[in-house]
Amino acid sequence: MSIAAQIDDLSFAHLGTDLPALDRVSLFVPAGESVALLGPSGAGKTTLLALLDGRLQGWAGRVSVLGAPLDPDHPPPRARRPDTGFVFQEFALVERSTVLRNVLNGRLGRMSPLRALLGSPTAHDLGIARTALADCGIADLAERRVDSLSGGQRQRVAIARCLAQEPRLILADEPVSNLDPARAGEILALLTAAARARGATAMFSSHQPDLARRFAQRIIGIRGGRIVFDVPTSELNEDATADLYRDPKPMPGIGLRAVS
Amino acid sequence: MRLREFGGFAASALIAGAVLWSFVTTDVELSRLMSAGPRIAGFLGRMFPPDPTVMAEIMKGSAETLRIAILGSLGATVLSIPLGILASETMVSRAVFRPIRMLLAFIRAIPLILVAMLMVGAVGLGPLPGIIAIAFHATGMLAKFYAEAIDGVSRAPIAALESAGAGPLVRLRHAIWPQMAPVVARDTIFRFELNLRESLILGIVGAGGIGFYIQTYVRSFQYDKAASVTIAVVLMVIAIEGINVALRRRFA
Repeated sequence: MSIAAQIDDLSFAHLGTDLPALDRVSLFVPAGESVALLGPSGAGKTTLLALLDGRLQGWAGRVSVLGAPLDPDHPPPRARRPDTGFVFQEFALVERSTVLRNVLNGRLGRMSPLRALLGSPTAHDLGIARTALADCGIADLAERRVDSLSGGQRQRVAIARCLAQEPRLILADEPVSNLDPARAGEILALLTAAARARGATAMFSSHQPDLARRFAQRIIGIRGGRIVFDVPTSELNEDATADLYRDPKPMPGIGLRAVS
Repeated sequence: MRLREFGGFAASALIAGAVLWSFVTTDVELSRLMSAGPRIAGFLGRMFPPDPTVMAEIMKGSAETLRIAILGSLGATVLSIPLGILASETMVSRAVFRPIRMLLAFIRAIPLILVAMLMVGAVGLGPLPGIIAIAFHATGMLAKFYAEAIDGVSRAPIAALESAGAGPLVRLRHAIWPQMAPVVARDTIFRFELNLRESLILGIVGAGGIGFYIQTYVRSFQYDKAASVTIAVVLMVIAIEGINVALRRRFA
């Protein structure tokens, strides 16, 4: 069985802080699995996903992605970057460009340097972009400018760009946090279906346990930079989930009023 | 509080001293201003009526000024693209953008008329020194504007393209350029307007354009002809401003 991600004893603190964003995390994700990272805001979900995408340096531990080790001090070589696709929470689209242009931007790492610079995709690149648009249900929006789209449509463009990259590992950071529940279900359904159809591994973060349960085979609970539980979806424990979101330890003297 | 009061007093004293020093040491003979009335009237009298027979010279000079501004702006744009990239903190390291920014500040500090005089000395009279002077002088501002346009775009799409495996120039082309294009268009038009305005006087130092005729007619006491050229210059500036207002509305 090939491996999508293997993490051993990973710790990381953001620059200028002592508090670890990730604290001795170990994790093994086989290829083809669909994994949800569940946890409150600030738990370390985004940090873990960005690190797997090769965008964070200065961590300790051992991490390998798609069989190749990550260097804790340097970003991965450019040729390897298209293999991990990232869906950004705030979409990170070029607002003044068309939907098709934005999706083709996902192809830039796969094109020859000259074609990438000139922005002249081959028929093959265009075919992949069109398929990604169709899979995300936005084929009819191809020529629209992104700044004229709704939030749900933008999220679909962001996913289509990631799919056009032909990643073997898809990392999605809160892909539905900006959407209403019905839209959120649709988006996660198409994201996980598209990953499955392409044989890609999908890891998405969420703070909604019901969505994680519906669309992931495995759920990892994170709190305070540590993995609290790591279970197949069928074994998800309600108490453990509730515990994930409990308030931090009440501090003495706050919230209590002295009664004379 | 004491210190602030003293500071205010010191500043007032300094300003008063500077004004007094300027009055005393410069030959400001107010008496000359008093007797100047009739002379100014005479001078203005000789300007009127403006001589319309210089229309051909005005057209020739204006066309040359326009050409100097167009080619000077083109030169400045071509120079500003690489310099703007090298002056932006998004594209290059501090070790590169710091010295480039200092170079641009140095270029901006040299007045255009001084550059034009030096260029006339270097390449001779005519429009060529004017074009070079405009291109050089305008680059100091335009490259800075381009660098600020690069640094002013949203960073998220740049990170997204980097994550997709795009190199720095590809990111500049596909994540930064679409965002900065309207700013570049606005800044370039603004600088073109300034170039056209400033190139009107280049002829005074022999660097081509309509300014040549103002200088020629004033030196040869043909004030009625100088008046016609001056009116033409004022009309051109008003026209440029009108066009610019319309263009800015388009790019707002």
